[in-house]
Amino acid sequence: MTVATATGLVATVDVAHEGSAKRIGPRTDAADLRVWTGTPLRLALVVGRENADRAAASAAALGACADPDAVLIVAGSRDQNGVIDVVEALRAATAGRPKPPVVLIASDERTRARIAPSLAPLALEAIPGPTAALAREGIVARLRGMRRPAGDIVLRDEAVESAARAVAAADMRDTLVLDVSGASTSLALATPTGAVIALHSHLGVGTNADRVVARAGLDHVRRWVPRAVDGPALLERVFNRARWPDAVPATTLTLALEMALAREAVAHTLRDAERSGISVAPFRAARAIVCTGRIARFPRAAQCAIVAIDALETRGTTCLSREAPDALIAAGAIASRGSADIAGRIEPLAIAMTLWPRRAMTLTVSDATGTIEQRITRGAFLLMPTTGRVDLRVGGSAETASADALALGVIVDAERLPALARWHSALTALSSEGLV
Amino acid sequence: MSWRFADQRVRQSLPLGASQRAAVGQRVRAGEVVANGTTFGEPVRLLGARRLGVAPVDLPQVMRVPPGAELERGAIIARTGRRFARALSAPFDGRIVHVRANGDLEFAPVIDRWSVRAALDGVVMESTDWAITIEGAAWAIQGVVAYGPDAVGELTLAVDGRADELAPSRIDVRLRDRILIGGGRSAAEAIARAHACGVAGIVTGAVPAAGLRTLFGDEVSARGAAPVADTPTVLCLLGFGTSQLPAEVFSPFLPLVGARAAIHAASARLFVFASSGVMAVPTIAPTLALAPDWGAVMPIEGSASPAHEVTFTSEVVANALETAVGTVPTGNLRTLEPV
Repeated sequence: MTVATATGLVATVDVAHEGSAKRIGPRTDAADLRVWTGTPLRLALVVGRENADRAAASAAALGACADPDAVLIVAGSRDQNGVIDVVEALRAATAGRPKPPVVLIASDERTRARIAPSLAPLALEAIPGPTAALAREGIVARLRGMRRPAGDIVLRDEAVESAARAVAAADMRDTLVLDVSGASTSLALATPTGAVIALHSHLGVGTNADRVVARAGLDHVRRWVPRAVDGPALLERVFNRARWPDAVPATTLTLALEMALAREAVAHTLRDAERSGISVAPFRAARAIVCTGRIARFPRAAQCAIVAIDALETRGTTCLSREAPDALIAAGAIASRGSADIAGRIEPLAIAMTLWPRRAMTLTVSDATGTIEQRITRGAFLLMPTTGRVDLRVGGSAETASADALALGVIVDAERLPALARWHSALTALSSEGLV
Repeated sequence: MSWRFADQRVRQSLPLGASQRAAVGQRVRAGEVVANGTTFGEPVRLLGARRLGVAPVDLPQVMRVPPGAELERGAIIARTGRRFARALSAPFDGRIVHVRANGDLEFAPVIDRWSVRAALDGVVMESTDWAITIEGAAWAIQGVVAYGPDAVGELTLAVDGRADELAPSRIDVRLRDRILIGGGRSAAEAIARAHACGVAGIVTGAVPAAGLRTLFGDEVSARGAAPVADTPTVLCLLGFGTSQLPAEVFSPFLPLVGARAAIHAASARLFVFASSGVMAVPTIAPTLALAPDWGAVMPIEGSASPAHEVTFTSEVVANALETAVGTVPTGNLRTLEPV
């Protein structure tokens, strides 16, 4: 589907939240596109390995009473026997189901012909092997199509990736879009040429908040709340939040809890990627980071900045910004079907410098009020508020950065893992009401 | 969701390995076994078509028992009827799990047996190896989440008021096989005692989340717990932490006390099998509010007036309602409509 409105105006997009939707665009009667997390897709991955424990794999497939929506088989000629064992177990576990799984198979023709009889009567689709980027994109597109119940739906993860691509192309620099919603967390790193590496997880700060606690542990979430909270009480709050879509954090404590959940959701998404063999260093060192979703809607800009810096453990100099509520996600949805204008949808927040200098250095910050030189030593941690356009130079290096009208200014972090209280007070991230 | 008498539909998933199940159209009562089956051990592969000297497609014709059959050691699975017969027999007591495309058979020992009991009085509408669907009329109330297996028993009031907490001292073995109405809150201690006394299940406003971890393990979530043997059944009607049941939810329990009831854990519903005329459906849908610190769920009583946009202490700006318990963001309010 290509978006083309009769009036020639930009398309109207409904961005779904946990229990509601926000409309972005000129139309009031209906939306052209809807951004949604999509229907869950249970995917069974069968990747051939000659020395796999076939009996254990068969037992697992049978014992789990597997009921996948799709099966993705990647097999080489040497993997046939192992794959056939697992496929037979899957067929036994899914036989007679009202909705049989879609089977996608990436292998050479001879291997496919040997595996096919074991899959009958399940329908089989041949797909290219996931060795080339284009083929991987094809597989992802096919699987995403299965999560989309209607043609006007754009999956949130898809919109985040398109948004990253659009911002990177517009700014001509590598850009990371960091999206944390109630049900999901996405990190999409795009280059100006259009290449995207994306990480997505079902960890969120709302309906999937309990998953964050299950993954990270209660203490890991609790350490980010700048006040003593006992574990059982915190768990109750998380569970109630998970069962209450779009709950509003009316107190400072609940807002701090949401920020804590967001940090852990991002950190664990990165950890999962690392465990899968994906290098996360480019995500941490991205030159531009745009926050979207719940973290972009925190009341203070500092809250968004603090969560992004803590969760990503940024390295080097980064331009931090956030979307106007749901605006960039809506633009990403449009960009996924055509081209989108992202102007005016992003608010620059800060230039964040995370460094560990060997010796004292000088930082020169020029803005509308003039030029300030700041001496930086190890352990320094400060916020330099700025006005208007900002140019930043680091003495003794070629490092420079510039940005327009930052909401916060320049954040300098020359202290590894600053104390949470120091963080919060330096950026005045949380109102003290309800926290003391 | 609040009380309603209507036709209800329940889909009960079956584990792998069903042996017998109720037929479509069969009338069942809650608590009756509607399906049973076996749990398999690690399967072994038996040479089937190759041993018998037949093509894989011809194997069904020489099999003496169908796939899924439970056999004793030595029982004939398949046999060719020629003069020099070849036979395939069961190597141990077990079941034929699967016939492979190449004509081999997967044969597994039986390590356990399971049965699934109906969670609703009604008629079986659908019966497959994967699920049984039952339809029938009952009083029903929707909860937020349920933990533990399905439960059936006589509904019994175990608290004096809708705000009361279920007291362990009120639970003893005389309440065996009953479903207890546990008031606004039931702590882990009371639930554990009830389970030890043989109570079938507990219906309550809220359960402390940490208590759920004690009862169901650390993997418990706000959506349920992994099935584990010998756990209590708890239906949370409102949420976690503390709560107070709204009068529109608690009062209808009173005329239903003594009636047979069932908790369907997968859909978090309580069914009560009483006549439709036993009480009038509450006309007012109760409104609930999530406490400002998210640690409790409370009913909103009395009048409420819109306060439009309010800036809260967190500095979040949201539409809100002025209620008897204070200014509540509309996002933290929920109305319980009938099921």
